[in-house]
Amino acid sequence: MAGVDLPAGGGGRKKGKKGKAKKRISIRIDMTPMVDVIMLLLTFFMLTTVFTQPQTLEINIPPENVNVEVGYSQLLTLRVTADGTIYYNMGIEMPQPVAFKDLHNLLVEKLQAEPKLVTLIKVHRNGSFGLMVDILDEINLASITRFSLAPFTEADEKVIRKVTGA
Amino acid sequence: MVRKKARLSIHIDMTPMVDVIMLLLTFFMMTTQFRPEEAVDVTLPYSHSEFELPQSDVMTVWVSNTNQIFLGVDSPILRAELFGEEYRNKLGAQIEDKNTLADLMIKARLKNPKLRTVVKADKDTQYGQIQDIMDLLQRIKITRFALVTELEQG
Repeated sequence: MAGVDLPAGGGGRKKGKKGKAKKRISIRIDMTPMVDVIMLLLTFFMLTTVFTQPQTLEINIPPENVNVEVGYSQLLTLRVTADGTIYYNMGIEMPQPVAFKDLHNLLVEKLQAEPKLVTLIKVHRNGSFGLMVDILDEINLASITRFSLAPFTEADEKVIRKVTGA
Repeated sequence: MVRKKARLSIHIDMTPMVDVIMLLLTFFMMTTQFRPEEAVDVTLPYSHSEFELPQSDVMTVWVSNTNQIFLGVDSPILRAELFGEEYRNKLGAQIEDKNTLADLMIKARLKNPKLRTVVKADKDTQYGQIQDIMDLLQRIKITRFALVTELEQG
């Protein structure tokens, strides 16, 4: 769809001077279809572009057979049951349930009271991985640098059952 | 007397617009990275962690919400060595039992000691499965690994 236009008045000056002055032909190309296609491509690339790389949560686990001794007074235990309820206790206190949205405040508060706080997380085998990541995330956000993961044992089950009275 | 309405033909010079659009197009074409296929579909959990997933030398363990485990490495050559030639164009191989997983991971790390281990697990996976994998990592002395998450906004 390229239209070739002669310069204005060019067509009218034919008084026997045919082909003497070189006529400048201005070419006007209709760019609309090209723009359409380019716009389509642009939209496509804009929509498919993924700017967000997935993020990672770094975890360092101690090598096997390394035992770290921690005083009970510094130990915050978080137990997560199969149904996703979180119980916390300091040292040898009895566990208390805590809602996930209050966990952040709880962690900050405990960290202020005990700067050397060590958190022990015990998640039940049937608990969800997503919840465990959420808790790790809260721990990172509260800038608690020392935490460990331990298996949720029968004993933990018993303690929780004692609290809930079931 | 019918007067013909004079049709005004408006010519807009689109050249600058086209220039700009071309620039944008080039930018998006260059920066675009198609979301890589996954060995198995997983819905990642969210976290506020801002460490980005490394681009190369990655060994990925996928755990789907049905507790299927897949192991993959990012280099096709290593993948072919580990799982056989037919896996050159696949991202990972399904692993049936945990001892095989441990063996393959040790092998992969021997071939390329720079491999970093990441676990891509579905957020609805049962935690027990992840616990087993972490125990296994501890046993084969991979004490540094990462859980892949999606960045939570706000």
